[in-house]
Amino acid sequence: MQATRRRTNFGTAGLLYCLTVVVVALASVNRPNNLLVWIFSAMLIALLVSGVVSGVMLLRLRAHRIEPRRARVGEVLVVRYEIRNLSRFVPAFDLHIEERKLPPSIVNAGEAWMLHCGPGDTVHAEGVFRASKRGLFRFPTFEVWSSFPFGLLRKRLIFERASEVLVEPEIIPLQPTLLSRLARGGLMGGVRASVEVGGGEDFFGVREYRAGDSIRSIAWKRLAGTDQLATIERSRAVPPRVRIVLDLRRATSDLRVAEGVDPRALEEDAITLAASLMALADRQGDEFGLTILGLDVAAIPLRRGHFHRAKVLAALAALDLDQPRDASATLRESAERATVLFVHPDRADTSISPAVGWNFTAAQLSSLRIPVARGGET
Amino acid sequence: MNLLRQHRISAFLLLLLAMAAFATSQKDLVLLMSSGAIAVLSWYVTEGPRGRSLPEVASNILILGLLFWTLAEFLTDIELADATSVLGRFLLWLLVIKLFSRRTAYEERQRFTLAAMLVVCGCLETVEFVFAALVFAFIALGIWTAMLWRLQSSLDAARASRKGDGAFLPPPLEVAVGRRLLPQFRRLALLSIVVIFAGSVVGFAAFPRFGESRGGRSQSDAVSGFNDRIDLLANARINESRRELFTVVWKDPTGTPEQSKRPIYLRGAVLDRYDPVTHRWEALRTSNAIRAMRTPTDAKFVALGPGVPDTTGGVWTAEIAMRSLATSVLFTVYAPFAVATDESYSVAFDPATLLLRDVGTDHVSRYWWYALRVQPQPSPQMMETLQGSTNPPRSDISFPVPALKPIAERILSQAFVTGIPTAEDVRADPSLRWMRNREIARAVASWMRGGRFRYTTDLTAFEIADGEEPIIAFLERNQFGHCEYFASALGGILRTLGIESRLVTGFVALEYDASTSQYIVRESHAHAWVEVRTGEHQWTAIDPTPEESLMQISERNRAFSDNFRWIYDRLEFLWNSQVLAYDSAAQATIADRMQSKWWKSVQESYDAVRVQMRALVEQYSLGRAGMVWFVAIALAISAAVAAWLFARRRLRHTQRIAGLAGLPPQEARRIAREVSFFADALDMLEDAGFPKPAPLTPRQHVAAITLHDANAGGAFARLVERFYRVRYGGLAQSISDREETRDELLRLKSALSRRR
Repeated sequence: MQATRRRTNFGTAGLLYCLTVVVVALASVNRPNNLLVWIFSAMLIALLVSGVVSGVMLLRLRAHRIEPRRARVGEVLVVRYEIRNLSRFVPAFDLHIEERKLPPSIVNAGEAWMLHCGPGDTVHAEGVFRASKRGLFRFPTFEVWSSFPFGLLRKRLIFERASEVLVEPEIIPLQPTLLSRLARGGLMGGVRASVEVGGGEDFFGVREYRAGDSIRSIAWKRLAGTDQLATIERSRAVPPRVRIVLDLRRATSDLRVAEGVDPRALEEDAITLAASLMALADRQGDEFGLTILGLDVAAIPLRRGHFHRAKVLAALAALDLDQPRDASATLRESAERATVLFVHPDRADTSISPAVGWNFTAAQLSSLRIPVARGGET
Repeated sequence: MNLLRQHRISAFLLLLLAMAAFATSQKDLVLLMSSGAIAVLSWYVTEGPRGRSLPEVASNILILGLLFWTLAEFLTDIELADATSVLGRFLLWLLVIKLFSRRTAYEERQRFTLAAMLVVCGCLETVEFVFAALVFAFIALGIWTAMLWRLQSSLDAARASRKGDGAFLPPPLEVAVGRRLLPQFRRLALLSIVVIFAGSVVGFAAFPRFGESRGGRSQSDAVSGFNDRIDLLANARINESRRELFTVVWKDPTGTPEQSKRPIYLRGAVLDRYDPVTHRWEALRTSNAIRAMRTPTDAKFVALGPGVPDTTGGVWTAEIAMRSLATSVLFTVYAPFAVATDESYSVAFDPATLLLRDVGTDHVSRYWWYALRVQPQPSPQMMETLQGSTNPPRSDISFPVPALKPIAERILSQAFVTGIPTAEDVRADPSLRWMRNREIARAVASWMRGGRFRYTTDLTAFEIADGEEPIIAFLERNQFGHCEYFASALGGILRTLGIESRLVTGFVALEYDASTSQYIVRESHAHAWVEVRTGEHQWTAIDPTPEESLMQISERNRAFSDNFRWIYDRLEFLWNSQVLAYDSAAQATIADRMQSKWWKSVQESYDAVRVQMRALVEQYSLGRAGMVWFVAIALAISAAVAAWLFARRRLRHTQRIAGLAGLPPQEARRIAREVSFFADALDMLEDAGFPKPAPLTPRQHVAAITLHDANAGGAFARLVERFYRVRYGGLAQSISDREETRDELLRLKSALSRRR
């Protein structure tokens, strides 16, 4: 990306230095002392050299922000920068890379700094950020600056290159036994047998014996009755399935909240709870899906795996709570057998669906999380 | 990262240099050794195995104590003129205390500031060569250290920015660094140092000056020992420095250098007036008859007087070459009648005192070579030619110290002066006057050299009571002193006795170097003696100082280092002549010379070109139109060469992009020409903000661009496909293929411009 703008600033040290140069100049004029004159000349030339060196260093620099990956609230975001020095002879030292006009919810947690980029070199540096809110954010501009060699002048190259980063909602560690307690009993559609043959425990069927079948799977009773060898087939085990339904039908202003509680914060907590439940399910190997009621977001089917998790988190991250809500939305009956977890921002609403499910509210977030010990360990 | 480890060492050395420079400016070896030893100890304490530092409370207490001590010293004992020295000492000890502090960025900045202020204090105290050399070393090391400090402080700041709270732990800072860090840093630092020093020379030369340099001529004069006045109350110790000021080659009438049988007295100033109130001998200014002349540039002699001088007695030549004394005074042997200089100078000759001065302003420095033609025993005719009637004999000789008269008469009686015409004899026969003068002067001088008086340069024990005349104090009570007292006493006695005499200050050439056949005149050879009028126009030098004493002191101060002084003295000479003595006159001279030289070289170049062009025109009978064609062809050839170079560079660039390094050159060139469209496309994309990262393949780059701009990505995708077919598929593009490629490039260009 070509630099669009170059700027030069005097730092505090530079201003003090200029003042000192003026004082020495006055002293050498007032008290004709050739040594002082020489020192004044050397100081003046040093100031010029400082400007020239830092300018020449940055002249042929090209910088490029390597697209940052997804971020998550509560975790660091590392953004990498690639600096290329197109000059054939002039090295660059002391390069600082800073983002300009950062969104308010993203703060700088660690400067990207490069000690040296030689002629013809390409070097990467890392900057660290922290996001305090979920959503889609833009890194509009970044600058590369240096005050090498003497720290008197700061020369900057400003690169107009926008990048976007999706900040996923925070994931709170929930009590590990939460989902297993909810899915127990089978009635809620947790563990079930699959319709496919596999290595599970449930009876699936009987077939002819084939060479190589395990002796343990032989149907001995049938052999006794028919004198024909047969093998019992078992069904494939299927993990429990969880569908998380996030109830956002009510507009933020219609939420019933206590005095001093921010309704938007409640909604965010609800989203965090939904993400945390999803993460818990994923950690336990369950299949999970997401349905958003009240917003125009397609339901995500029941799956498991890394990419599916990312998809769910991306859907949660991209939710725009300022959109108009559909208050009449309900959860349709479905043939899928899964435990349904309803997450409400303010209060449980059983009219949401005829399906049987567990209802959570955002206020329960703190009680469902794993307690944090005094020393900060969970 | 090894580079940053050097920072602490170079910072420490920088501080040591600043302390050494200041101690040198004070000429205080004790200060240098004590502060240096404590500074070295601080390195062991703070950087050693345990790495301790002084607690802040202790440091503050020490600083307060130092402050009170300095204030007390300043208020009780020190004069305002010594304020810089006091301030410098305070800063030095403050710096020593700070050396034991913690190594933080803030403390580091404080130490650097103190070091810089220390050097500036030293600059206000002295301009000597040794100090200047230390200052230049400080500047050079300071540049290096400043660059290292910049890197170190940035690293510290970057590390500090990563110290998050426990909830957010950013990754540790991995310092990104390119290849060959150390050599590149060294090169850049050295280049900066060289450029700064070169630029400072230009700035120094061009800095506007408004008069003569105080740090130059008069400073060097002051430390040379020579003075154009004698202050008997100054009680100063005569300079015993072995610094070489100039050399004298004494040539006989055949031009052969020889050693004179007696020391050679080189006259610098004639003091013929004594002020009894201030106790000073000063020159009586008479300038009516001063002759000004311009010496030629080719070292030819020019006569100092009108008419032809009488040279029947033989002519000796004294050649004086300055080594470390910048002065307008030409030290002359009595009595010069012609002068020659290495460059053309404006010289003023005072016939009354037979002194020469440089009065010109159109030269770079006053470190010069000049030669004088003299007759050791000039004839009356010679003297009359030189002096004319500028300094007739006086009869009203007196000395403004009446109390000296009885002492002078007593001395005269003690001097066993016999066979000398008396005053009555002189009244009867005035021609006897000169003989009387000469004999009395010699007798009194001989009496003074007789052992009653001790020659010494150390006057710390010399006591002068309130209201007492220093000459009487010397003659009656102390009876020891240096040449100024000896000469003042003799001059005072002679004047009291009615004998016309005057004091002369200058140098005495004692030390003869047989290997180079020249006299070496040092600072310690500054001297004062008496001249007595012994003729209508003649004066005779009478030196009351025992010659043996002078020789002893000269030999006593000889040291082993004298053998190597020539190295240091040469550098110091250059420093004094080219830097300290540089003033507005020298600046104007350089500017005039440069301007004339520059203009001359421009004109010469222009003339040379014109001659060549004329020869060309004549040879080929070109005429005006032919000249125009010639110039056009020359321009066309230049343009063609430039285009060829550009095309060659472009081809190499394309070869690099297409990865054609391993192919035979001819094949590589052919493919490079075929795929040049791909290089053009990459350039367009880079200009539009889509540079291709090195790790990405062209197809991956297409994917990256498509995410941002589908149109541009699509156009570039087609070009990439074509590139692959040509580069790896061996496709040779037909004319229609090339046209399609051109169209694709245009589509890419328009897509990118729409994006803007």
